[in-house]
Formats: sequence, C-alpha cells, structure tokens
Amino acid sequence: MTPRPPRRTSSRRGLVTGLVVATALALSGCTGVTYEDTALPAPATTSTPPAPTGTPVACTNATQSYDPLPSLPASSSITDGSVRAILERGHLTVGVSADTYLFGARDPFTNRIEGFDIDIARAVAQSLLGSASKVRFRVITAADRIEVLEKREVDMVARNMTMTCARWEQIAFSSEYYHSGQKLLVAKDPSGAVPDTTIEDLKGKRVCAPRGTSTLEKLRSVTGVEAVPAADHTGCLVLFQQGRADAITGDDTVLAGLAAQDPYTVVSSAPAITDEPYGLGFNQADVYLVRYVNRVLADLKADGRWKATYNRWLADTLGPAPAPPVGVHGRARP
Amino acid sequence: MTIVQTPPATIRGSGATLQTAVKGLLRGTPGRMRLMGVVGVLAALLLGGAATNAVLASEAAAERAANNTQQVVRMQSIHVDLLRADALATNAFLVGGLETAESRAQYDAAMASVIRTVAAGAAAQPADATALGALAEHVQTYAALVEQARSNNRLGLPVGARYLTEASASLRTSAIPVVVQLVQANEGRAQSEFERTNSSLQLYLGVGALVVLVLVAVWLARRTHRYVNPSFALGVVLLVVGLFVASSAIGGIGTAASQVASGDYRRAVDLAEIRTAANDARANESLTLIQRGGGDRYEQAWLANDTTIRAALNRVDGSPGLASAWQKYALAHAEIRGVDNDGRWEQAVELATSTGAAGTTAPFRAFDQQVTEQRDAASRSAIEQLGSLGGGSTVWAVLVGLVSLIASWLIVRGVGQRIKEYR
Repeated sequence: MTPRPPRRTSSRRGLVTGLVVATALALSGCTGVTYEDTALPAPATTSTPPAPTGTPVACTNATQSYDPLPSLPASSSITDGSVRAILERGHLTVGVSADTYLFGARDPFTNRIEGFDIDIARAVAQSLLGSASKVRFRVITAADRIEVLEKREVDMVARNMTMTCARWEQIAFSSEYYHSGQKLLVAKDPSGAVPDTTIEDLKGKRVCAPRGTSTLEKLRSVTGVEAVPAADHTGCLVLFQQGRADAITGDDTVLAGLAAQDPYTVVSSAPAITDEPYGLGFNQADVYLVRYVNRVLADLKADGRWKATYNRWLADTLGPAPAPPVGVHGRARP
Repeated sequence: MTIVQTPPATIRGSGATLQTAVKGLLRGTPGRMRLMGVVGVLAALLLGGAATNAVLASEAAAERAANNTQQVVRMQSIHVDLLRADALATNAFLVGGLETAESRAQYDAAMASVIRTVAAGAAAQPADATALGALAEHVQTYAALVEQARSNNRLGLPVGARYLTEASASLRTSAIPVVVQLVQANEGRAQSEFERTNSSLQLYLGVGALVVLVLVAVWLARRTHRYVNPSFALGVVLLVVGLFVASSAIGGIGTAASQVASGDYRRAVDLAEIRTAANDARANESLTLIQRGGGDRYEQAWLANDTTIRAALNRVDGSPGLASAWQKYALAHAEIRGVDNDGRWEQAVELATSTGAAGTTAPFRAFDQQVTEQRDAASRSAIEQLGSLGGGSTVWAVLVGLVSLIASWLIVRGVGQRIKEYR
C-alpha cells in the first residue's frame, strides 16, 4: 500500500499554491499589457497576365482591308445601321491614347489630346459629320483596344494599332495608314554615338513592352530576354527611368516620342525587327464604315493631307514625310 | 497491481526544529484555531489584494484605452491625410503645370502631417513600429512619384501623367493596405482595453475569500459556543464594505468607459471613416476626368465611397448638417459627370478645379472642414473622458488595501481572544 503523505503537508501545499495564485493575480494588475505586433498586409500577388489564348493565326493578307467606297456618299444618303447611329448621335467616338507622344498625347497646358492619330480621327469626323470637332475621344490602354470595339464602346480605335491576322479574327481594320517598325530604346552612350543595339544584344537584360500588344508577344518569344510588361509605353519609360527596365521595345514612332521626353535615351540605329502596319480598328460587323473610312484614307493620301499631317507631328524627330503606305484592298466580306 | 513508489527520503535533521515548532503550535483545539486564524487572515489579504488589484487593473485599462484611442486617431489621420494629399495632387494635375500655390501648400501640409504622425505613432506604440516603418517606405515612394509627375508635367511631357497614375496606384496598393491594418489593429487594442476596464471578474476571488471567512466564523462559533465574535465580525463587515467599494469603483469605470466606447469613440471612428471615404471620392472624381472617358472604374469607386459615407452618416448622431453638406457636394459631382458624359470634358474639368461657387471644390471643402471639426471634437472628448476615469480610483484602491490589513488585524485579534478564553 502506498504510504499516505501526512495531512499537514497537503494543507501546507494548498496554502503555498493559494499564495502563489494570489501573488500572480496581484502582479497581473501591475505589469502592463503587451500587444502583438501589427501585422503587415500580405504582399499583393502580382499575377502575370496569361499569354493570349489561341495559337497564332497565320495568314498572308494582314494588311488587306475591304474595298473603299467608290466615292464619299452624302451623309444623308447613308443607310448602314452603324453609320446612321453615328450620324444621329452627332459625334464620332474614338478610342485613343493620351500619352503616346506625337501620336496621341494630352498637352498638359491646353488639356487637348493631340497627335498624328488624333488628326486622322478628326479627318474621319470632318468627312462624316462635317466638322473636325464632332469627335469624342475616349482614352484607352493598348490592352483595351479589342474589348472596346467588341463591346461597341467606341466607333473606331486610332491608337497605333498593328494589323495582324489574329486581330482580324476579332475586329476589322481600315487599310494601312502608317508604316512603322519595331525598334529598341536604350540608354544613350556617354560618347554620344547612337548605339546599334539589337534584341540579341539584350540577353539577360530586362526589356519592357506594353501589355496586350503584339510587341510583348514577340518579346516573350526571344529566349534569354526578360520581358517586363507595363500598362503602356509611357509606363515603360517610367520603369526605365526607375532602373526597373534596361531597354524598351516598341514601334519606332512611339519610341521617338519617348526619346523626346528623356534626353538620356536614344532609339537604337539597328534596323527595325519587324514591320508594323498601322490600321484603324473597327467592330468586325462594321464593314460599311471600314469601306467609308478606306475612301477617306485613300483621299488623304492622294491629296497631300496625309503628308502635311505627317510633317506636322513627325518631321522633327523622324525627318520629312515618306510616301504614304499603299492601301491593300479586296478583302472578301465576312 | 499497484506500483509502489517510495517517496523521497527526508534527510534527517533538516528542518526538524521548525517542524517540531509548527507541530507544537497546531496541536489540539487551540492549534486548529490558530490554523483557522491563519486561513482567515490569508482570505482577508486575498480579498484585499484581489479587490485592490481589480480596481487598479480597471484604471490601467482605462488609461490604455485612452492611449490606444489616441493611436487609432493617429492612424486614421494618416489614412485621411494620404488620401487628401492624393486628392489634391490628382486635382491639381487636371490644370496641368498650373497648380495653384494654395493647393500645393495644402498638399505639402498633408504630407508633412503624415510624416510627423508616423514618427509619433511609432514612438507611442512599439507594436506598430514595424508596420509604420513599412508605411514610411511606401509614403516616400509615393511622394517621389508625385514629384516626378509634377516636374515632368511642368515640362509638358506626357510621362508626367503616367507618374501620377503610378503614384495613385502605388498609394492604394501599397501604403493604404498598411494603414488599414494599423487602424484595425489599434481599434482592436482599444476595444479590448474598453472591455478590460470592467475587471469585476477578479472580484469573484474576493467573494470566495469572504465565503471562507464566514465558514471560519461559523466553525469558531461552533467550537466555542459563542455566536458573535465582535472583532472577527467587524473585520468581515469591513471587508464586505471594501469589496462593495471596489466593485462600485470598477462598475463606475466600466460603465463610463463603455459609454465612451459607444459614444464619442464610436463617433470619432465613424467620422474618420467618412472623411477618409470623402477624400478618396474626391481623388476618384479627378482620376475619372484624367482618364477621360476611360475612367469608369474610378466613377464606380466614387459611387462605392458615396454609399459608405451615406451609411456612416446614418450611424452618426446629430449630423444633419453633415448629410446636407455631403448632398451638396454629391449634386455638384453629379453635374460634373453629366457634363463630362455629354462630351463637354473641358467644362467638366473647369467645374472640378474652379475654386469659385460653381463646381465641386467649394462644397467639398465645406464638407471636409465640417467633418474634420466634428471628428477632432469627438476624439478629443473621448480621450479626455477616458483620461479622467482613473483619477479617484487609485485612492479607493489604496483604501481597500488598508481596509483588508485592518480586517486581518481584527481577525487575528478575534481568534486570539477565543484561544485565550479556551485556555
């Protein structure tokens, strides 16, 4: 049998326990409360936008658009639904860029959006509605271009948009109104010489391109180059100035606009990597509107207004206007 | 089968004298009386200790509630000032490089206030130091981006617009979430201190001690066949009074604190929420215009702010003035949206930036000023009330402590009397 401990010991133990509890309680009033550290929010997960679905669409006629109307009809005689809607509304809604210097950019002093693309849009409004001011600009990013057309939030997109086979699956293009090519913007050489950097020279470097553009897709296909996406080209310039990108790739015209904003950058003298034919974007169903605009564009190119517009915006940085791109027509209607 | 464990053998000789002495003291009825006396004294001391401690704990909690409320106010001020700075920066952007000296000064004042409050907040609450350090980093990034936007803007370069958009976006994705965490953490701390001001749970220990004392008194009465022991009884009465005093002191603090919690404190928190949402709305108004037709998501954000504000205004008492001031601004905002949607963008910008009677600037300022005044008054009053809660209770705590000592002496005296009589 287990020997019982003497009674006294147990009562003494109880007393000791009681005293300890009492002391602990007394102390708890005196010592301060300690607070847990304020937690930091979980870092926002920067989801890299998935590469556009669908395999690249191959075709040989990306620059081919619908036949232009034989001549510009009187607005009152047009019966096409989409165009009638524009005429009744009294203004043309155009999706544009507000920060592509020289093509579509807001002048901070006047608050007006100006540039080559803007003048082309105004020319269409002039023809359709009789006044170059009957146009409303909606600022969109490159990634918005297809969506705003599909949802018919705008009648037309004039935002340095390259005509590609894949985009023809979703929208319609006018004939080519500007011919550009993809180049590289890099830091200026201290000696002042213009470097002839190519994309191959940039292995292991970070190169920026806007989201949702054909440029970014091409960039991602180059092995060894880290593609850095930004909302638009000006966003790329911000990243470049912050040291978060080593070079920017984009159409030479856009890069010229960026170089004009930062004297420490220069467009590489290496030849353009790609051909970038620019077209105005439309909803896929607006074939009549496309044909109408193709007529306007053909007239602009023929009567010298295209050259005048080019010289107004681009001659200073790119030299005098070349011959306007020749529109390719004859695309079969869907 | 039982496993017999031999208890550790006591080393002979050690403590033998003490043991003998204790044994002698506790032998027989007087010994048991002595033991009961000790139990009574311990119970009295426990009661006194628990009651004193409970009162002091309540008082300390009230003080901590005041300090935490002050920190909540600081964190909310950072939240408001950051959004206010952004509202000013984005609005000034609409007029290009021609920012008025007044709006520039207001922006500078808001940012200066943020920096000062971050430093003050880190000193006041060490638990916030890490988060405030992270916040300081984000604030610095934001300020740098705004400056770059400003200088590019003055040169007429479109990259300025991108810097500003980056600044606003970085503010909302990096800095504001940290501030929200800070506000929430401190609200949580203040709330738990409000709850701790009612520490009457500790008094149950005192009640338990009282029960023990009564049992001792009954035992003593039975043993000695004398019903009332005046000393012992007086001791118990004193302790009952002490317990009552402690519980009413705690009750007073607890009630007053919960009144502050549901009164001025709640009001200050609600008004801060209103002011934060209002300044966010004002920035969203400018961002909608800057995006020029592509700013629908900012207008959606404005509408969300509007809903938050109207709901909070309903909760805040005596705010008809505020509600009508907000309504004035909301109407002016609706006018801007109407004009902009109608394609008259330049006119919309004019309305959003002009400081004259027309447009949103004047009604917004009027509203912001009213909310600020009312919130400052409410938070000041909450902190003052909490600060004054402790005042008298220290005296009560000391008194209760003294009473328990006197009661202990009375108990010793009462038991001693009986032991003497027994002999």
